[in-house]
Amino acid sequence: MAVFFASTFFHVSLQQKSLYILCSILAAYNIAAFLLLRYSRNHHRRTNVYFPGINKIINFQMSLDLIFLSLFLHFSGGAENPFIIYFIFHMIIASILLSVLESYLQATLATGLLILLALLEYQGIIPHYPLTGFIQHDAHNEAFYVFGKIGVLASTLYLVVFMTSSIAVQSRRHEEGYRLANIKLKEQDRLKNEYVSRVTHDIKGHLAAIQSCLDVVVNKMVGPLNEEQDNFISRAHRRTKKLSTFVKTLLRLTQMRLSHEMDMKDFPLKETIEAALNSVQRNAEQKSIKITSQISPDVTTITGNQFSIEELIANLLLNAIKYTPKGNTVKVHASDGDGIVRIEIIDTGIGIPADEIGNIFDEFFRASNARETVKDGTGLGLSIAKQIVERHGGKISVHSELNKGTTFLLTLPKTQKAIT
Amino acid sequence: MENTKILIIDDDIDLTSALQTVLQSNQYSVSVANTREEGMEKLKADKPDLIILDVMMVKQQDGFEVARELKKNDEFKDIPILMLTAVEDKTGIDFKSEAGDSEWLPVDSFLDKPVEPQVLLDEVKKLLN
Repeated sequence: MAVFFASTFFHVSLQQKSLYILCSILAAYNIAAFLLLRYSRNHHRRTNVYFPGINKIINFQMSLDLIFLSLFLHFSGGAENPFIIYFIFHMIIASILLSVLESYLQATLATGLLILLALLEYQGIIPHYPLTGFIQHDAHNEAFYVFGKIGVLASTLYLVVFMTSSIAVQSRRHEEGYRLANIKLKEQDRLKNEYVSRVTHDIKGHLAAIQSCLDVVVNKMVGPLNEEQDNFISRAHRRTKKLSTFVKTLLRLTQMRLSHEMDMKDFPLKETIEAALNSVQRNAEQKSIKITSQISPDVTTITGNQFSIEELIANLLLNAIKYTPKGNTVKVHASDGDGIVRIEIIDTGIGIPADEIGNIFDEFFRASNARETVKDGTGLGLSIAKQIVERHGGKISVHSELNKGTTFLLTLPKTQKAIT
Repeated sequence: MENTKILIIDDDIDLTSALQTVLQSNQYSVSVANTREEGMEKLKADKPDLIILDVMMVKQQDGFEVARELKKNDEFKDIPILMLTAVEDKTGIDFKSEAGDSEWLPVDSFLDKPVEPQVLLDEVKKLLN
């Protein structure tokens, strides 16, 4: 382009044929180098190992570029061509991509090529093609000017390599530091997860054994008990069950707090809501509560953690069943919005006092009327629900009227893109 | 049901005793192994109709390793496995990913400990049918 513009519009005398041939060769080997680099990048992605010849390819291409730039200069005015400063760009790229030693070697090659070009033209061994139309008088045989200019340029190249390499080395050190820190963090995360799962296993394991042994006695599988024995064993059994539920919920919350990652996948929301409905059916039947659901047909697939979403809906349903009087109805509505889905869990239960509604998602908080109505409860269920919703980039809100009922509204983004 | 044999493999002696009593009171023939090795021996000797297996015994993945071994073995691959866990698969650690396979779960059913006797019996009945 530069050759075309300079010769056509500014009438600068140029060795057009030679320059166009050089351009074609340059384009051809750049395409080859590009393909090689792309192959090496894919190789790295596939195997996580750098392609073994990558450094040699970059060195080779860089050296070839310098040789071509010298040839371009030769056919367009030699040391007089202002494009001579383009050597600087190559030095910057070399310093970023190559090692410090290799970068200095490239600077030395560039200097050597420049000196050789100037010397050969000066001695008349190769012809000099002046930039007539651009420069008024030919200076290629003015030794002081030509070699002085090359000397200044060479020192600039070395300085550029020195400064860029220093920055590149520091940047590489930081990058390595971040990489190592990332590996360390992942390892810590793995150890923490292992620790939590071990603690969870041990605590729940002991409780499970106690409860299972008591189950056998309470259910008279090992013979009858007298009234007093039955009374005390039943109390112990009841308290163990309560403790199990509490520990289970508390550990679940801890696990969620400590775990940074959640396995997100596409899953069918309609089926997940139905699974949650099935899981609480028994609890509803025990209180003769009818659960109705209205799931819009356009509620299809969303991205998220299916188990957590099922757990979330089941927990809100269990809550609704717990605080709704016998024989009443609990409703689930799900509809599709603009990039989100709305899920409502509506009960006709005791409601939440207006002055306590702001605290219901707090850990261990239970509304005063909830404590009076149902003695058992951890006060952690809604905190877990909030955590799950927020992990999905969604929102949970509540609308309640005392003695009339409560509605929990969940809005969940359909895809993880919608979160950001 | 007397001819229906169930093998429980779990390192918790108290829990296995309780589960054994619950199942025996429902006329199942139950044998218990408290280690992985003992479990493999009893499996070969007893040829059970159902295996109840703990996820974590000595190592985190013990239960899964046993399950994988069994599913690869032509002699045992059709025996249903009910896995018991004190760390919920659903909501806690994702055992499947840890085992390097996020899709394949080598068991037929999961129950979270503690298991109510009736829930256990219902699940056992379901798997045996």
